[in-house]
Amino acid sequence: MTKFIAPVSLAALLLAGTAAAAYAASDYTPVTDARLANPEPQNWLMTRGNYKGWSYSPLDQINTSNVKNLVPVWTFSTGVDSGHESPPIVNNGMMFVSTPYNQVIALNAATGELIWRYKRPIPEGFSALHNTNRGVALYGDKVYFAALDAVLVALDAKTGKPAWETKVADWHTGYYMTMAPLVEKGKVLVGVSGGEFGVRGSVQAFDAENGKLVWQTFSIPAPGEPGSNTWEKPDTWKRGGGSTWMTGNYDPSTNTVYWGTGNGSPWFGDQRPGDNLYTASTLALDGDTGKIKGYFQYHQNESWDWDAMNAPMLVDFQKNGATVHGLLSPQRNGYLYWLERKADGGIGFMNAMAYVKQNVFKSIDPETGRPVVDMDHKPGTGKEASFCPSLWGGKDWPYEAYNPQTGMVYVPSNDNHCGHMKGTVQEYVPGQWWTGVAIPDIGFTVDKNAAFYGEIQAFDANSGKRAWRVLYPSSMMWGSLLTTAGNLVFGGGTNDREFRAYDARTGDQLWHFKTNSGIIAPPSTYAVDGVQYVAVQSGYGVDPAFQEGLLSNLLGWQKDIPQGGVIWVFALSH
Amino acid sequence: MVEQRGNSCGCKLGRRSVLGACLGMVPWLAHADETSDPAASPPQPGDRLVFLTGEKKGQVVRVDDLPLGGPQVQAYPQDPKSGVVRNGSRLNLVVLARFAPEDLSEETRARSAHGVVAYSAVCTHQGCPVNMWSNELHVLFCSCHGSMYDPKNGAQVVGGPAPRPLPSLPLTANSDIPVVAAGFTARVGPERY
Repeated sequence: MTKFIAPVSLAALLLAGTAAAAYAASDYTPVTDARLANPEPQNWLMTRGNYKGWSYSPLDQINTSNVKNLVPVWTFSTGVDSGHESPPIVNNGMMFVSTPYNQVIALNAATGELIWRYKRPIPEGFSALHNTNRGVALYGDKVYFAALDAVLVALDAKTGKPAWETKVADWHTGYYMTMAPLVEKGKVLVGVSGGEFGVRGSVQAFDAENGKLVWQTFSIPAPGEPGSNTWEKPDTWKRGGGSTWMTGNYDPSTNTVYWGTGNGSPWFGDQRPGDNLYTASTLALDGDTGKIKGYFQYHQNESWDWDAMNAPMLVDFQKNGATVHGLLSPQRNGYLYWLERKADGGIGFMNAMAYVKQNVFKSIDPETGRPVVDMDHKPGTGKEASFCPSLWGGKDWPYEAYNPQTGMVYVPSNDNHCGHMKGTVQEYVPGQWWTGVAIPDIGFTVDKNAAFYGEIQAFDANSGKRAWRVLYPSSMMWGSLLTTAGNLVFGGGTNDREFRAYDARTGDQLWHFKTNSGIIAPPSTYAVDGVQYVAVQSGYGVDPAFQEGLLSNLLGWQKDIPQGGVIWVFALSH
Repeated sequence: MVEQRGNSCGCKLGRRSVLGACLGMVPWLAHADETSDPAASPPQPGDRLVFLTGEKKGQVVRVDDLPLGGPQVQAYPQDPKSGVVRNGSRLNLVVLARFAPEDLSEETRARSAHGVVAYSAVCTHQGCPVNMWSNELHVLFCSCHGSMYDPKNGAQVVGGPAPRPLPSLPLTANSDIPVVAAGFTARVGPERY
């Protein structure tokens, strides 16, 4: 039964948090550096499960023998459309979910009771190319949220009330944020989006208690700084791109943050001659100072919108009989990379292997990892060129997963698609698309005779041998994967609204459930009072929805995939 | 469905964005007072339009400046008396395009000047500028998610996720200069503003 309340007080009620919380304030367990470095199996304290970025859970109550009995136990409507891309974050029974439109929801993880809801107004005049959010971060008694309009907000975890907020960048000049923050040693780290708007990327670290800036490291060096000679034409560094739009991973033992950087800006490398460090790279940053300790650049003079946005997973692997402290990363450019974490913080190249059809690299130097580019497949100003895979790459941001028990890395990938485009010199307008090519002029094609487009590929992390694959003949794959000690791989990502569980060793599909919308968010898993749950948001939108429209024209696929976010929580039926 | 706004102040939202975002509804709109900040005021009758970009950036748009048949140009309204350009709010961004008058729908022709039409440039989907053009379909194309609007027919949505047409900005002609005849015909921008 509802009662009409005057608008002002209702708004205040919504913003401040409901008084009807069933969850006692004293129950909240503060999150510490020690807990983040060694998270309890029953919790999901960060978006990729652990600092190494494995998207792995040690929980095994749900396993290959019983996953067929998985049923929904509660659901919750987020109340908004657009693409839902964050996993439920869980700390001892309290769940935090971020959604599009600058919203964070706190719920009882076992029962689905609403505890509080936070909504940050979107400023008038702000436009959202990617109206989404990829997750909150936890530290102490606070929840950290990177708002779309490039403001970092700290909320009280028990009440949802804002504790502080700090401006990260100016949205008027094209900066925005969609990533989950990374917390390390009392600092909250965020990057920026805006690679299509002429930005200059950076990673910033803020004091978790008061929001003051501790350090800022730019992904594009200024004149005189190391790497600045790779921007040969004056002033191109100022709007060179290298956006830092996905969450980094962290190695506490060496206090090193690994962060990915995005495409070069504008999109056509001939307008910014040089290797363009550190676009399309992984940076190794000192956790205390932000100083660049090392880097690896996946391709030079970036010209395909192939961001290296995801930080590599920290995985130790075997090579030539020795254990390598490694980094493993399936990149947007279509290659799976094995890299080394060196003692001095540097990143060494070990091996790269194509995991989709890629026609841009003629070869990769076995020592340095530097590709030799086929110029026939490199677009330029006034020069049309086609390239495979398309700008969305072998995979986009959705997470791969690593299972230490199977020793396999599971990669959500897309094949049999290509792009073509031609560049122009475009006038810069602050806050407007500035790539050198207009969206209706970007070519996208598929092989209409291909047996599949989206797939999951499982590779042995040591040998690179493909152990199994699952093909999706009628869908691209935009689903982040979760793998568990129950020998399972969970994922959505397809246009048929399905959420699936596979045998992690064989790829056999063991369970599926059709949800309300397309799932483009990472799943998470947690336990409360001895019961394991698997949770995922289902809410289609953003790039997958745009691409589905193109595929509908090309292949006749259904383009009306329903939108509207729902949090789904599953457990074993009794 | 297009909301009709009769008064010349237009449809610019006031400072109710908190309520609007939280409740998804705005029972009333506060109109910016023209004298408080003319640069942020919505387009007023008599305003000219000035180019946002290009060789004639900042100059008044004339009919012959616009290529017949598209594409559109981006412009902000300008107070002819004071010269103030109303670029204090992104909600005032306008697109202009020129067509043969007989190619316009009757309703669109009534709001045009010498075949020049003007619309809000703010996409009704997520607020991105509708500053791209489809050479294939000859329609306005949004720079974010592919919403397409037909400039010859009231900027009706002809593709993509936009929920409603772009508001029209009725024009009249002062010799060869398109001039604002009335404020936007509907609320500008996406639902959440």
